[in-house]
Amino acid sequence: MLQREDYNVSLLKGFPADAERMSGCRERLNFIHSRENSMNIVILGAGTVGTSIAELLCANRHNVILVDPSRPALELVEDHLDVQSVVGSACDAATLFHAGVQSAYLCLSVTSGDEITLVGASLAKSMGATRSVARIFNPTYRDASTFDYQRHFGIDRLLSLEHLTALELAKAIRKRGLFAVENFARGGIEVQELAVEADAKAAGVALRDLKLPPGVRVGLISNGHRTYIPGGEDALADGDHVTLIGRREELENVRKLFQHKTHSKLNVIIAGGGAVGYHLARILQGPRFNVSLLEADEQRCQYLAERLSETTVLHDDATRLSVLKEARVSKADVFVAAMGHDEDNIMCGIEALEIGAPRIMSVIRRPDYANVVQKLGIDKAVSPREVMAQQVLGMVQSGPILAKTELAGGVAEAWELDVPAKAPINGEKLKDLKLPQQCLIAALVREDYVRVPGAEDQVQPGDTLVVLVQKESADQTLKLFLAP
Amino acid sequence: MKLSDFVVSEAILPDMQSTSKEDAIRTMVSSLGTTGAIQPEDQESIVAAILKREELGSTGIGNGVAVPHTKHPSVDRLVATIAIARDGVDFASLDGESVYILFLLVSPPDRPGDHLRALESISRHLRNQNFCSFLRQSKSGESIIELLDEADNDQL
Repeated sequence: MLQREDYNVSLLKGFPADAERMSGCRERLNFIHSRENSMNIVILGAGTVGTSIAELLCANRHNVILVDPSRPALELVEDHLDVQSVVGSACDAATLFHAGVQSAYLCLSVTSGDEITLVGASLAKSMGATRSVARIFNPTYRDASTFDYQRHFGIDRLLSLEHLTALELAKAIRKRGLFAVENFARGGIEVQELAVEADAKAAGVALRDLKLPPGVRVGLISNGHRTYIPGGEDALADGDHVTLIGRREELENVRKLFQHKTHSKLNVIIAGGGAVGYHLARILQGPRFNVSLLEADEQRCQYLAERLSETTVLHDDATRLSVLKEARVSKADVFVAAMGHDEDNIMCGIEALEIGAPRIMSVIRRPDYANVVQKLGIDKAVSPREVMAQQVLGMVQSGPILAKTELAGGVAEAWELDVPAKAPINGEKLKDLKLPQQCLIAALVREDYVRVPGAEDQVQPGDTLVVLVQKESADQTLKLFLAP
Repeated sequence: MKLSDFVVSEAILPDMQSTSKEDAIRTMVSSLGTTGAIQPEDQESIVAAILKREELGSTGIGNGVAVPHTKHPSVDRLVATIAIARDGVDFASLDGESVYILFLLVSPPDRPGDHLRALESISRHLRNQNFCSFLRQSKSGESIIELLDEADNDQL
């Protein structure tokens, strides 16, 4: 037994494979696998992102195997975390085999180079990892209009840390509502929460008589006492909050059913036009926000201005107080510091607070700063690493549910679901499905396109769905997605 | 794949007046709209998708040529149109020059292979100097269609 232990330790340090050693390794992995609820997760890349995710997964009692070409980097992690490690390249099949991707539930590829990340994630999936996810810097790889990289490499999801961070900030800026649907790469669907005004056209009318366009759904109604997923005969009352899901243009059109006048736009000033600032401006710009973006580099400004048609791009250094005053930060509703250095973001946030901006948000990369920041008066600090880690934690769920978000204080949940082959829901038209009353299929993702499905749509294996469900109907709903 | 398999002849614009990128794309999409190749309600969404692709890098591939394209679930077959802009369009091309020949392609997302074959076919023909200069000299939709046929049959 002692001998085998030795074997495995040496194996994991990256000695060449032979059949006997491999079988020892496999036994060990099977043993690990049987530990209750814990999953084998292989992380490619022991950089800051890989390490912080490993930390979180360890804390959740998962078995983490880290792969990195640098032995010192791995030793650093092993010093404080209970992880296994394999020295080697993410692109090397033998290394991946040692790491046990073939029996891993999730392979997370987060190396510092996109190309290595893609190849590693792709190999892991082909070798048998149940899910394979890659963190990508270059936005071109996440765009399928010329070539579908994600499909080509067989990777389940390509994530951008900067895009996720921007989504998290946008979520805090909009305060209310649910956002699970917007997390999809294509982001074709938007979620809006509106307050129903007195004498609005929709007030007192049953939902089925509202004649909402086919691409718009009412997700949740919240009336102060309770929050629920409505059926066709439910009606809205003055003062209710209603959550709508649909294409942005269509949502703007149906808005007038619920509100009389258009509300004044929220002014958002973003300091720093890097990838996070750019994505945030992109997400927010449009009918509901006036977005200004401050960026010190002239060439970058040019780049941003060409791409953000509805954002005011200002060429100036946001770390200078005079610039903040000139940009009328005091009149902004929200100020977001999204520059490259934590110290700049903190200082800039405090200065904005000083001159009167009511809500301050900062991107803070160092985890040890996060506690102090709140004390300084910054309302929301978002750490890209933390955002990524939470996203990954959501994926490590057993069964068809890919990610779960609590809504309305836990009354309801938004699920992102894979449709397995042989699940009862397959092939049926949505209108013929016996879905529980408190359940709504809010979005359907097929071939990387997101849409709000209609009654005639059929669910196919391989689709991903976003489902809103109230807690009491959760089990009943889940049965539709379980293969017998 | 032949150009005539996916170019919608009635949507060809032999003398497009647009000089800005967004306007050019909008004009071409709307031309596809008038022929019924795409539905009017999908036009805005298609324009947005094409512009989003342009943000990642211009499809102005140099030599006065641009190939704006996207995949979109609203079409069930590959549709494309051609526009000739005498005054040139500022397309933020890779070589910094104006664009005079534009091929705009919209494909259904579930046919990635055909999408690539169409893009390949377009760029192969556009590498042919004769094809490009004849295109720019064409005065009517008919002469462009003839030219496409000749290109498809390797007669250039």
